Order: sequence, then C-alpha cells, then structure tokens
Amino acid sequence: MPANTPTGPLAPFRVLDLTNELGQLAGRMLAELGADVIKFEPPDGDPARWNAPFYHDEPHPERSLFWWTFNHSKRGVTLDLSRPRGRDLFLQLVDQADFIVESTPPGAMDAVGLGWETIHARNPRLVMTSITPFGQDGPYAQWRATDLIGAAMGGLASLCGAPGRPPIRPSAAQGYTQVSAQAVVGTMIAHYHRTRTGRGQRVDQSMQEAVTFTHDNAMPTWDIRGINITRPGNGRNIGGYWSGQYVFEAADGYVAALSFGGLFGLTARQTIEWLDHHGMADDLTSEEWLAKLDASQGVLIPPGGDDSDHLIEVLAKFCKRFTRAQLVAEAQQIRNGWGIVHTPADLLQNEHLQARNFWTELEHEDLDETVTYPGPWAKLSATPLSVRRRAPKLGEHNQDIYSGLLNLSAPDLANLKSAGVI
Amino acid sequence: MTDAQLPDDVFAGIRVADFAWVGVGPLVSKYLADHGAEVIRVESSVRPEPLRRAPPFVDDQPGLDNSGYYADFNSSKRCCSLNMQHPQGVELAKRLIAECDIVTESFTPKAMRAWGLTYDDLRAVRPDIIMISMPMYGSTGPWSMWQGYGHVLQAAAGISHLTHYPGEEPIGTGVAYTDFLVPHFAAAALIAALDHRQRTGEGQNIDFGQLEAALHATETMILDYTVNGREQEALGARHLDHAPHGTYQCAPRGDDDDRWIAIACTTDDEWRALAEIAGRPQWADDPRFHTRFDRLSNQDQLDALLAAWTRAQPAEQLMQTLQAAGVPAGVVQTPEDLRSDPQLAHRGHFWMLDHPAMGRRAYDGPSFRLSETPANLHKPAPLLGENNEYVWKQIAHLSDDEYVELLITGALE
Repeated sequence: MPANTPTGPLAPFRVLDLTNELGQLAGRMLAELGADVIKFEPPDGDPARWNAPFYHDEPHPERSLFWWTFNHSKRGVTLDLSRPRGRDLFLQLVDQADFIVESTPPGAMDAVGLGWETIHARNPRLVMTSITPFGQDGPYAQWRATDLIGAAMGGLASLCGAPGRPPIRPSAAQGYTQVSAQAVVGTMIAHYHRTRTGRGQRVDQSMQEAVTFTHDNAMPTWDIRGINITRPGNGRNIGGYWSGQYVFEAADGYVAALSFGGLFGLTARQTIEWLDHHGMADDLTSEEWLAKLDASQGVLIPPGGDDSDHLIEVLAKFCKRFTRAQLVAEAQQIRNGWGIVHTPADLLQNEHLQARNFWTELEHEDLDETVTYPGPWAKLSATPLSVRRRAPKLGEHNQDIYSGLLNLSAPDLANLKSAGVI
Repeated sequence: MTDAQLPDDVFAGIRVADFAWVGVGPLVSKYLADHGAEVIRVESSVRPEPLRRAPPFVDDQPGLDNSGYYADFNSSKRCCSLNMQHPQGVELAKRLIAECDIVTESFTPKAMRAWGLTYDDLRAVRPDIIMISMPMYGSTGPWSMWQGYGHVLQAAAGISHLTHYPGEEPIGTGVAYTDFLVPHFAAAALIAALDHRQRTGEGQNIDFGQLEAALHATETMILDYTVNGREQEALGARHLDHAPHGTYQCAPRGDDDDRWIAIACTTDDEWRALAEIAGRPQWADDPRFHTRFDRLSNQDQLDALLAAWTRAQPAEQLMQTLQAAGVPAGVVQTPEDLRSDPQLAHRGHFWMLDHPAMGRRAYDGPSFRLSETPANLHKPAPLLGENNEYVWKQIAHLSDDEYVELLITGALE
C-alpha cells in the first residue's frame, strides 16, 4: 500500500517539475525516491493529459493512462509562466526548492525570464535539469523530435526489426524512458556534488544521446571491425556475428531461448543432454556436433550458416512441444538463462512479482476505483522508495502550494485564478 | 588516485569494489568511475568476466584484454584479480571491502551467500557500507535463482510483446535492451543512497531486481491492462495517436540501399508542411488524410504514398528539409552514422582512449552534460589484474611477503 509519508533518500528535498511527455518519468522517479515533486501545468492543462490510452477509452484530461502513469506521486499546480505574476510566483518557489526538472525547448526558459543564469543567481544551491531532444546547443538543438525520431537518431531503430524490412521501435516510448532515467542519474550526481560543496549546477540531457546508450556492442563493432550491425530480426547480433533465432513458439506462447554466447553457448553440452532426455536432440549428440558446440573453453562466437539453421530447427521442434513454464523451469536447472515472453496478463498473474509485493494499489476516489500500478524499481533497506498518490488533477494542489508554501490568502488565489495566472 | 583523476571530481574519495559482471553492473559503476570514483573491478582468470570473452575483438583475435564489448563498459576503472575458490579468497575480498564505500554485484543471490559476503556480513566489516545487488529477478522470490540476459529480460518484462511487426512473432529489440535500461535506475538509487550516507552517515542494502526496473519501460501498457483489461499489441513503428508515424525507405547512398528516414507528424500543421515539401499540397486536403483521425484510419494508403515519395530522396537531405520546415524527422542512423553525427560530435559523446592492448578506441561517455562537474573518462578499460599490486598492497594493506605468497598460491589468479 502507498505510504503517505515519504521514506526515500530524497525525502528532505523539493522538485519543481516543468516536464512534458519527454521528461515526466524523470520527475516521477524523483518522487518515488521521496522528493516533494510539484508538477507545473499551464492553466489549460498539460498536453500529456490527452495522450492515449484512456480509462475505459473515454478521452478526458483526467483519464489519460499516460498522465496517470508518469505523474503519480507528484503534487500538481497550474501556473502561466509567460505572465510576470506567474514568473514571480515561480521564483518564490525556486527559493524553497532543491531541483528543477524541465523539458522545454532550448531557449524557452530564457524567453520567459527563467533561464539558468536567473535561476542560479536566485538559488545557487539549486540543481536544474533540462531534458531536450538533442541538447541545449549544437547543430540539431532546435530540431523537433518525438520518441520515434529519438529512436532513429540515437541508433536504436536501426537495430530493431528484420533485415530488408522497415526499422521499427518499441511501441512503448523508449526514447522518453531512456532520456528521463538517464537525466535522473545526472541529477543525482549533481545532487551529491551539491551536498558536498553547497553548489548547484545545470544538467543538460539529450534524448538522442540517451538512446545512443542502447547500441549494445554496435559502436565498438563499428570502431573495431568496421561492420555496421543492422537489425537482426528474431535473433541477436554480437560483435557482427548473428547468433541465431532465439524467440521460439512454445505450446502456449513464446519463450526466449538464449544461452550466453548464442543459441547453445556456454551450456551446449547440458542443453544437448536435456534435449536428449526428452528424446529430441536429433543428431546433436554426435561427437562432431559436441565438438562444434563445446564453447566452454572457447570464445563466444556462435556457429553460422547451415549449422545455425539446423540448431534452430531442432530447438523450434523441441520448444513447440512443451509449455513455456516447463521449458524455462527446466532450462534454468541447467543454468540456461531462458525466459518467458510475457504478455501484460502474464505479468499481472506472475507469482514471482506477487511474492515480491511488486504491484502497488492507488486509490482513484473520484472514479471509485483502485488501480494497480507497477511498484518501486528498487528496494532500499534504510530509505525505501514509495509510490504515494495518484496523479494530480488539474490544479489540485494550488491551494496547498500557493497558500501552504507562499502564504497567499484565499482572495489572492481567487484573483490569480480570475486573471488566468493559475 | 592517478594524475588524471582530479581531486574535485564529484566522487573523489569514493571507492567501489565492483564484483558485478557483464552488462548491468559494470554500466552502473561506469557512471561512478567516469565521475571520479575509484572503481576497482574484482575479476578472475579462473572464471573470466564473460564480456572479456565476447566479440568484437581487435584484429578478430580473441583475448581477455582484447574485447571492445568489455572495454566500452569499463572506462575509468581499475582491475584486480581474485580467485574466490582459493582458501583465502573470501578473506581477501573482505579486506578489500573494508576499505571501500560501495560494493556492487550482479550474480544470482546464491553466490554472495555461499561466500559469506551478504550485506549483513559486510556491514560487520564496514558498518556504513552501501551494497547493491542486481540479480535478474531480485534477491527474493521463487525466481530469484534464475539467470538471464538482456535479450531474455526484455521478453520477460513485456518489452518484446510491444516490439515487433503487427501480428507477427515478438522478436523484441535487436539489442540486449534491458542491459541499457535498468543501469540508470540502479545508478539513480545507488547515488541517492550515497548522498543519504553523506548527510546521515547511514549505509544500506539495495535489492535491485532487474525485472522490476525493466517493467517501468512499459507502464502504460500495464495500466491499459489493469484498468481496461486490454492486452496492447505491437504497432511496428506506428503510434496510437499520430499519423504519419513510421520509417520510410530513402534513396541508396552509394551501394548502401538500406537508408531510412523516420517521420512523425503530431499536428495537422506538421502534416501540411510535409505535404508542401513533397510537392503534393493536395495530400493535406484529401479527405482520407485531412485530420489526424482521417490519417489514422487510412494509414496503409498514407504510408504507401509517403514511401513512394521518400524512395527517391537522400535520407540526410530530406531530414534537413523536413526539420527546417518544423516536421519531426530523423535518419534511422547506423553505428557508422552515429560516429559522424555532428550533434553527438558537438556534445563530445565519444571519447578516444589509448588502451595498451587494443590501441586507440572510441568509448561512450554519459548522455548528460554537467556544467560544474563534467564526466572525465580518464583511462581506458583495465587489463585483467592490471592493478593487483596497487590494490592488494596499498589498499588492502598486504605486506610484500603476503602479496608474493598469495601470488604463488594462486589466490590472485
């Protein structure tokens, strides 16, 4: 169950969150780490409130599952930063904040008088993290990018999909996930530095560069072998060697049947014994095949060509005959790191995640619903992370923040509202 | 501290015993090393770190000090060797850990338990130690002893379910995706814990289950199931909300006919600008493509028209033209493209470092720029056991005689 009191390592700290869909996970990770994260929205709402999918497929700014996901555990206020009064209120909150995390285009914060120099002069301890598609400066800094463009320009799309067919991307936005998570690392490094020295700094985070981190071994393979690894379809490519298909159809779905070093890899002998135990090793028990596959003293370069085709054929036949659970449980017994290709339903029913109390329930009292969310992403013994509350409704915490932190009176708030500032 | 490490690096004075291996663990400690921590990899030639045995190898010559895969993940670190099977292996590990602030490991949970190197054991040696364990499925639960790799975990975490051509088998990304996802979550938690220790003096244990962090890559898919009971399907390169949204083949570059551009129009204005650039302004007024909903309903026709047009355009030039008109577009960049990308060059993403066995090679730096304390990849990846004498004599305080004795008896293999 959610803890109302923050217990995480950032419990003493406050974050002003000015992110859009690009960076909303970053603010949320800081909230899970315990910080008091205040999400700012323009008075007409954050555009991410209109991102699909929606609760019961009803498009509505309080029912976007995207919004719910990336803004839970935050408090929410509205503020028009383009107005002088809005800017003034924001700067008063800067005095009481430890972090800003924002994802406006380069120069946009300066344009409203809230650029890094202004912020830094106002609160020299503050760490300001700016998340953009390509970074604060450079030839592409002003370019537009969605998640797909980030996946393309950072190199991930060229490694996703099948040869001769269009590059694809994961249908859940990984450019946004990557840039947000990496921004939090940069933010934590700056935070630690501040704790030691008292000095804040600017974190300039690029989505393109964050995606570049996902190349696996493609960059050293280009650097060292001059080979452009391309999208391997159903398989993996290690150092320019295609290691063979590894996703196979089981009797009840799919398994990921990879061993270290390729299809059979370091555990080739055990795998063949296992297949043989089920009478399905084909000719792999021959001395010739054992010699070919016994990589235990060797190097992790997988067999190619006809050999690879034959191994795939044997494994495909084998996997088709058993359930995913049986295949993976038996594979793990011989130290083969196979896994189940999970669907969302599989994940929610998974006994392991349940045993670890992974899932978290959040109340959506306005809908009279309790919704199951993914729980925290690490278990810290002394300062546990927590998922604290559902995402804020539009302007839900205006009074808490503007009266609670800035001591504005009820008439002040009413005036700000009628003037369209909040 | 070497000359190249600066005393005002963020993590100066922080020492890490890095028992982690392969992808996830070394990429966590790389963040610390590249920002000034003294990260000591603890490895063994008896059971070598698997990535040292993985290609690409310089000159295609396999060798434990010749893997580019290993090197890229281990910049700025030192390395000592230690044979944990030796009778004195565990004791030596504890002597080293007593001088460290952080211990990292990514084995299945039974390894540290068997060696008596759990958090409770280590806290007795160093009360304020921070330990992070990063097994595939976490330290507890029915699957905790299971092994895995990034390719498999992306499948287990539901990422492969969303990464394939519509209606086809769930191939996932072509990389060990979670190896390049979960280290950021682990590093964020670890540095936050280090900051907590700096402020309070309190160390702690971090049980980091890679699966649980990876599940944060597909959260709206999970909520669509828990809220709406829907199992989302993979869309290839398409999008629930926007069209056109895809990758389109471009003109060949030399003899390379695998050039693609990604285009994502998120507004009607962007779509109209695209139609103008294509010289077909009538597309924007075509009732099949007029509004976002029209375009989403007629994506097959829309994509066919676009693909026919892009096929004659050089990808780089088309990207420049579309971006100049405010249309989100980008070349599907290959590794070769990334090395010559002007934006990545401007940010200094790749660091060229001279490795004694591998020569001058490119390493990835972090993707963020810190204004006061920028990353400093101050040395290439270490050779196996490169810093044995320094680590065991100066850090673990072994005498000359003890050190020689351990060398002779194989404790440092």
